[in-house]
Amino acid sequence: MFSDLIYRLRALFRRNRMESDLDEEIRLHVERETEADIERGVPPEEARRRARLALGGQEQTKEACRDARGVALVESLLQDVRYAARVLRKSRGYSAAAILTLALGIGATTAIFTLVNGFLLRPLPVHEPDRLVAVREVDPQRPIPFLAATVREQIGERTQLFQSVCSWMPALLNLAERGEADLVEGIGVSGRFFETLGVPAILGRTFTAADDRQGGGPAGPVAVISHRYWQRRFGGAADAVGRSLTVNRVSYTIVGVTPPRFFGPMAGRSFDVALPFGTTGGLGSGYVLGRLAPGQTPESATAALRAVQPQIREATLPAAVAAGFQASRWLTQPLSATSAATGTATPLSDRFQRPLLAMLLLAGLVVLVACGNVANLVLARATARRHELSVRRALGASRARLARQVLVESLLLSGVGAGLGLAFAQVFCPFLVRQISTTTNPASLDLSLDWRLLAFTAGISVCTALLFGVVPALRAARVQPHDALKEGGRTRVGDQRWGVNQALIVGQVGLSVVLVVAAGLFVRTFATMATMDLGFDRTRTVIVGLNLRDARVQPPARVALYERLRQAVASVPGVADAVALRTVPVSPDHWVEAVRVAGREPPAEAATRGPFLNAVSPGYFATFGAPILAGRGFGDRDVQGAPLVAVVNETFARLFFGGPNPVGETLTFGPRATSSPPFQIVGLARDAGSATYFGLREGVPPTVYLCISQMSPDIVNFTPPADVRIGVRLAGSISAAATRGIAAAVGSVEPDLRVRMRTMADYIDGTLITERLAAILAGLFGSLALVLAGVGIFGVTAYAVSRRRAEFGVRIALGASTGDVVRTVLQRVVILMGLGLAIGGAVSFWTSRLVAALLFGLEPRDPATFVGAAVVLAAVALLAGWLPARRAARIDPAIVLRNE
Amino acid sequence: MGEPHLDLPQGTLDLLILRTLELEPQHGWAMSNRIRQVSSDALNIQQGTLYPALHRLERRGWIRSRWATTDNNRRAKFYELTRAGQKQLEQETTNWQALAAAVAQVLESA
Repeated sequence: MFSDLIYRLRALFRRNRMESDLDEEIRLHVERETEADIERGVPPEEARRRARLALGGQEQTKEACRDARGVALVESLLQDVRYAARVLRKSRGYSAAAILTLALGIGATTAIFTLVNGFLLRPLPVHEPDRLVAVREVDPQRPIPFLAATVREQIGERTQLFQSVCSWMPALLNLAERGEADLVEGIGVSGRFFETLGVPAILGRTFTAADDRQGGGPAGPVAVISHRYWQRRFGGAADAVGRSLTVNRVSYTIVGVTPPRFFGPMAGRSFDVALPFGTTGGLGSGYVLGRLAPGQTPESATAALRAVQPQIREATLPAAVAAGFQASRWLTQPLSATSAATGTATPLSDRFQRPLLAMLLLAGLVVLVACGNVANLVLARATARRHELSVRRALGASRARLARQVLVESLLLSGVGAGLGLAFAQVFCPFLVRQISTTTNPASLDLSLDWRLLAFTAGISVCTALLFGVVPALRAARVQPHDALKEGGRTRVGDQRWGVNQALIVGQVGLSVVLVVAAGLFVRTFATMATMDLGFDRTRTVIVGLNLRDARVQPPARVALYERLRQAVASVPGVADAVALRTVPVSPDHWVEAVRVAGREPPAEAATRGPFLNAVSPGYFATFGAPILAGRGFGDRDVQGAPLVAVVNETFARLFFGGPNPVGETLTFGPRATSSPPFQIVGLARDAGSATYFGLREGVPPTVYLCISQMSPDIVNFTPPADVRIGVRLAGSISAAATRGIAAAVGSVEPDLRVRMRTMADYIDGTLITERLAAILAGLFGSLALVLAGVGIFGVTAYAVSRRRAEFGVRIALGASTGDVVRTVLQRVVILMGLGLAIGGAVSFWTSRLVAALLFGLEPRDPATFVGAAVVLAAVALLAGWLPARRAARIDPAIVLRNE
Repeated sequence: MGEPHLDLPQGTLDLLILRTLELEPQHGWAMSNRIRQVSSDALNIQQGTLYPALHRLERRGWIRSRWATTDNNRRAKFYELTRAGQKQLEQETTNWQALAAAVAQVLESA
């Protein structure tokens, strides 16, 4: 076996030597034979004749010897590759067109796959990622699977469950001491976080369990920073460890730097600073990750977890109830451990999964359209090369050899195209990642090449080569040795190879219809959402985020401070209006409570989509474009001690009262009827710009507005919050002067407050990431398909015209008008286009439902989109057909007839 | 030309080559010459069959080759049996004899 391999390798690499040996060996044999014949008394003439006869067979003998050496296949393949490279180099225009077309298609697909790989497939850069599991309570009601710190500690104490357990939570950290915020991406982590992941420090140390104590461990509050932040902030200085870092007004000592490849526990985001939960003053709940002991599986870990779940629940219940959780819902859903090799699944990665897979599918269709064009090119060339192929056939090349030759050329084309496509993707991907980044959710993804990416690209490249190369290869195999003689090297007039080309054009048009329809649906979805009337001008409305804890303002003093801050901001030049509010509309900000209306059963819908609450100052309804339709808005008389009032929106009135005017009714909020004092409804506001947790898709929820100046620590659930916003309507567009003025105004009231400013447009953009990404990509793919289909139709039509020059020449000579000729050419284009439109339309009609969940504001079978796609495609097809048709009409019959 | 000629059953050529080389290293032409002589001109191995077979056997590691000079001082490629080839020859010989005996028995009894 081994000797066989050595022999073959030697045969392959020392080919020249072995060839000359073979020549020599056989020459000597013939020489000997002749001498022997002469010795035996054969006349010299006859002996020489026999030798010559033997010579004739020499080539066959040699070929048989090469076969016996077992390298013939590889050797002739290498020959084919060299030959193909030479052929492709010689016809540069053809090769460039084919390669570029393929590179566009393959590049688009590879770019999307790079994102899919980064988000969903690539394992975390940690020690043995296969042994990481995410531990969560399987609760369909709660999309964010946090577990409380007490639960994580209980799991950790039961050492038979996991080798180690940790938890983490993303957080924006503010490094500024006062004034405008200086935000970095942070993660709060439990003490054994780095140990569980198996991530060492490249400088200093990571955390220990001792660092995660309330107020900090023996070394005080400590921080670990990422390699990225180390480079950015400290320029990679070796003495960064030991320096201090002020986070949220607490001074931390930097104790370590993580390796460059480690971006954090979650794909799609990276971190700058990690802090132990104990030092952040938070509750320490977060995503829980466990490391399985060797031999353990997620299933066995899940079973073990569920066995001890009642004990864990019992141990953590008192503290949970004390913190205000409902005992009946505490840890009642089964715990489970699922593989987290690719990182914690968070709402961000879940959110991208469906759109990304849809885009991957669309990119695949683009590749198919590109294949159609390349197939046309290869076919046209194969026809032009009939002569060459036929001569090779006559010289003894087998059918299989010719077919293989053509296929090798296709593979070479697609291989080079894929390489170029990969380069395109590497350039394009960072742009896509920027598109999915927002101020508060900066996306960051590991886009570097790995074997998955290379295998995917190689696979696509081979598939495309087979798609566009098989038919031409089979055609090459059908070439007869006498074809070259028969045609005398001149191309035959006729439509013999029309069949395949027609089918290709129909297919391309059909696929393009699907892509253009998809583009239309996604672009219109985004446009609908981006231009939705929210009642306010999103670019001129700025939200100023404040946290009164910065200035240690106690609840009783807060309401007065809200008003002083509001007035200070309102007096800044360029500010038209300023109001105080608790939650920001159209943002992840939310305040949801059960609401009861005196004397009525809460509607069923309210159970799944609880009314949103907001506390706002009197000017809110004017500033945020939600005019009062009945009753009144809030006013100066609505203060602490005065009767409690509420304003509801139209949706709330419809859901809870079934009628338009609820003014005069009373409501309470909170889990029980006695959770809050009654509030009287004094006004009805228009549905607009109301708070929604997941964004505009959800539509306007039932909303109850309460008056922020009535908030009081004496009323349960109605304490003035430390987190408050000033909503600002600017007179002009946002400017540095305006933001500086606002920050200064806040500072003049309370110098310790730190200020975060974002426009409403920024908030809303953050909720439209997937829609924007889908619109950009689908639009891009749709345009690409249009261009490719247009080029395809142009190419095929122009080719057909060039083959029918003589015919058109005769027709024109016989009196056909320009219009006649153009009609003749376009007729075929129209038929093909019509077929393609019908097929593509039908396919889109059936498949568009698949993306229904990603659409908004229109049906998947939106007639306008379908008609629009058909019109655009028809226009492109007619233009692509008309250009060569015009050329056909300008043929000079005299020249054509002379040439014939 | 009327030369006496027998068709070789599949696989027999390998056996003949190995057997010929068992006596001493040989070059191709000498081998075909020897087989012809020993078989009283009944077996005439053509170069078109002989050389591919030699290359195949070499690939399998049963024979190896080297360039050397012949008795009358001419260069030629000599083939010789390897240890694996020796084993193969023994096994093939046994097989062949068993087969030949079986075939003969069937032919006689018919």
